[in-house]
Amino acid sequence: MLNKDYAYRLEIMMFTAIAIVCVLIGRMAYLQIFRGDYYSKRAEGNRTRYTRIIAPRGIIYDCNGEELVNNKPGFIIALARSNTKYKPELLKRLSMLLKMPQEQIEKIIETNKDGNEPIRLIRDASPELVTKVEENIMYLPGVLIEVQPVRNYLNNELAVHALGYVGEVSEYEITEKVYPDLKAGDIVGKFGLENFYDSYLRGTDGSYREEIDVNGRAVQIMDKVAPQPGQGLILTIDAKLQRIAEDAADRQLRALNCNACSVVVMDPYSGEVKALVSRPTFNPNWFVNGISEKNWNSINNNSSYPMTDKTIAGEYPPGSTFKIVTGSAALQEKKVTPNELIYDSGRHWLVDMRNAGGEALGYINFKTALSASDNVYFYEMGNRLGIDLLDKYAADFGFGKKTGIDLHGEANGLIASPSYKQKVFKEDWFLGDTFNAAIGQGFTLATPIQIAQMLSAVATDGKRFKPHLVSKIINDDGSIVKNFQPSLEGSLPVSQENLDLVQGALKAVTKEGGTASSLESLPVSVAGKTGTAENPHGRDHGWFIAYAPAEKPKYVVVCIVEQGSYGAVSAAPIVKTILEYLFADENKKVGK
Amino acid sequence: MKKAMQLKRILNNMDYMLLFSVFALILIGITLIGSATHANIPSPHRFNFIIRQTIFATVNVALGFFLLRFDYRMLKPLAKPLYILNIVALLGVMFFGRTALGAQRWLQIGPISIQPSEFAKAIMIVSLAAFTDKKLDTLGNFKSWLPIFGYVFVPFILVMRQPDLGTSLVFIAILFGTMLICGFRRKYFLAMVGVGLASAPLVWGLLHEYQRNRIRVFLNPGLEPYGSGYHVIQSMIAIGSGLFTGKGLFAGTQSQLNFLPENHTDFIFAVAGEEFGFMGVTIILLLYLIIIYRGITIAMNATDNFGTLLAVGIVSMFTFHVLVNVGMTSGIMPVTGVPLPFLSYGVSSLTTNMLMVALLLDIDLHGQKLRFN
Repeated sequence: MLNKDYAYRLEIMMFTAIAIVCVLIGRMAYLQIFRGDYYSKRAEGNRTRYTRIIAPRGIIYDCNGEELVNNKPGFIIALARSNTKYKPELLKRLSMLLKMPQEQIEKIIETNKDGNEPIRLIRDASPELVTKVEENIMYLPGVLIEVQPVRNYLNNELAVHALGYVGEVSEYEITEKVYPDLKAGDIVGKFGLENFYDSYLRGTDGSYREEIDVNGRAVQIMDKVAPQPGQGLILTIDAKLQRIAEDAADRQLRALNCNACSVVVMDPYSGEVKALVSRPTFNPNWFVNGISEKNWNSINNNSSYPMTDKTIAGEYPPGSTFKIVTGSAALQEKKVTPNELIYDSGRHWLVDMRNAGGEALGYINFKTALSASDNVYFYEMGNRLGIDLLDKYAADFGFGKKTGIDLHGEANGLIASPSYKQKVFKEDWFLGDTFNAAIGQGFTLATPIQIAQMLSAVATDGKRFKPHLVSKIINDDGSIVKNFQPSLEGSLPVSQENLDLVQGALKAVTKEGGTASSLESLPVSVAGKTGTAENPHGRDHGWFIAYAPAEKPKYVVVCIVEQGSYGAVSAAPIVKTILEYLFADENKKVGK
Repeated sequence: MKKAMQLKRILNNMDYMLLFSVFALILIGITLIGSATHANIPSPHRFNFIIRQTIFATVNVALGFFLLRFDYRMLKPLAKPLYILNIVALLGVMFFGRTALGAQRWLQIGPISIQPSEFAKAIMIVSLAAFTDKKLDTLGNFKSWLPIFGYVFVPFILVMRQPDLGTSLVFIAILFGTMLICGFRRKYFLAMVGVGLASAPLVWGLLHEYQRNRIRVFLNPGLEPYGSGYHVIQSMIAIGSGLFTGKGLFAGTQSQLNFLPENHTDFIFAVAGEEFGFMGVTIILLLYLIIIYRGITIAMNATDNFGTLLAVGIVSMFTFHVLVNVGMTSGIMPVTGVPLPFLSYGVSSLTTNMLMVALLLDIDLHGQKLRFN
């Protein structure tokens, strides 16, 4: 018989039930109130898929509005992010289809495991591959074909050392937070202007968020932010001139059987670089989607460093072009008068140092000495100036420090000095060292862009402008973001009278009796200077630098041919071709 | 005339609080099933689940009212045949059942799949109450309980072998309720718990691999976030993201976008949590508490031991179901296939639960008749 306690036991049951319901309500309060935000976020993360729309990079135009770099649609084969591990069969199938080792696919997945964008396996897939993937898409769950802008260098190698190239941001750049807002797989300017102006060119990515179901199918688009295209660059470079200069350089290199040279064409009054050639070269389109091994080897095995921009990073002895500095200094410091005759017996009387060709010019004045590039005369100028005064003028002409051109990787060059020799070679300074410095040999080093700036300062009667490659940064709609004005970096401490003397001598260089008389046939008068940079590793490098018209300079052209020997023979023909083009016809003239 | 009198008497003495709670839950259930099965999205079969659940609910209401005419004591002589029928049916499932989710639980009869284990719960309540009622006078020391244990053990083991751990544990819950009400001594109870814990490794060995896995995952849901733990994690996300007021009917992203699996059956409570929020689930849980409270009141007021034992069995079953199901969907209980009474889709479960409510009402009504006489 149920005893009398059963009412009490039913009460126990009731309390148990109340306790259970209280626990459950408590649990609900915990989940829905205390942890509600957390679970709301997780629910949101479950149902939304965020896809970035990559902003097209800014377009790069030459000074006449010709497109040099734009974007083309590229197909990307990617894997949608998944909550679960990718099935090995899928990866195997992909590996076969994409002709990509499965380990490589797994590695890409691993390096991209954080983030919420699709994992991109192949950029700029060929139409054949895209078709193949599309045909098999049923068997490739989670595989996506995306269309995104891909950088397109319209003229391949043309002006690559100025334009640069883009590539995926490197692991190093990510770990070091070089670009704090970029993630693995993002595209960034790696070199040249693409690199220097990356923050302008890159633009702001857009995005869209989709609602997805458990199978990853899009149910609806929730919101969309259009990408903001990158800002465009209008260069100072003239593509037509650039082509002429590159052709001239290539032809001459073939003729001389040489590998490397640099050409800079600049407007001396503004510092606008009109053409920038560095040889050997490479194709920037190779880098856009990751460079192939074959292409990489072709660059890497070239002993002349195609990827070095020799116009800004190539350091050469300035050779006889430096006599412009020595001469200006000697005149300004009144160490010599323009009419003083100095006897060249073929060797200097204090130190047995001679003219390069063994010639002896007898009694010569300043003009003859500079136009004929007499060494003995300038040894004597070095002797009279002393190394310290010479170095001061070298610095005033812009030697020994970066010009500040808008490219990364510019070299400083070097001004020879006793302290440098002591520091590096632990040797005392001799008079012979001063002699060498006076004719631009020995320790002194300069980049072609520094030489261009030096000559520009002479051409402009003493004004030294900063070289630059970009004249304007513009918005997508063409409105101007930034207008680059000429930047005056300094003035030469040389009187107009003395500059006139130097200019006159340079003009004589291209006349009968000068070292570059072959330029006399040009329809415009040219002031120039040859130079030969001694090269302990092989044949000498040949310099030729010029500005024209000599009376009212519009262009400075600087050229060095590595191992080209005499500048008059190796570099001057390239400069001549460029000047021929520039002054062929007043009506067809480019630039200003 | 007599019939009209009888109907009037039934209506006058009906436990409307109980009835209201049950109907409210059934209606909430049908709404949630509609949401979980996307009845708001046009498709040819979108109303299938709602229609079936509604038809069965209606039929069961009619059946229940009809059965109220009969005195529950008429079940007493039926206990033994029902018990045998139960065992035969369970054996039938074992040999002819349809397999789903690695367990044999369904018998296909015409267009309807029947889960005999659902009805087994009802039969267990009735037959155990009758069996215990007969033995009441002899119950005392531990040994006297052995026949009762044996009586539960046979169907228990058959259901467990299906395998259906959830239902077999319902049997244990019913047994516990019975033991509590019959004054099973505390020292025996503690001793049994001790033995149970000591034999846990043995039980572990008897479990199916998937059951072991569920327990492992229950103890550490992060173990397999996309495997067995997936259900629970998604269910917790659904409930948690419902916040205080819920996302609104048909607006639960977890259930509408199918992140929540089994969302119209075992995990229906997560849909409630997501779409109706804390307010909604609290109301639902309080409705269950009302049902339990009325059940216990009916047990208290029953005029005979059989009625009390029946009511206690029914209350034990409901309480256990709510605890285990809600506990499972909110991540404080391991995943066992236990539906939520009146809310989960499932005609067998709905029928069983509604018949049990009818039985409670019957105990109430016919007990009153005696008192009035």
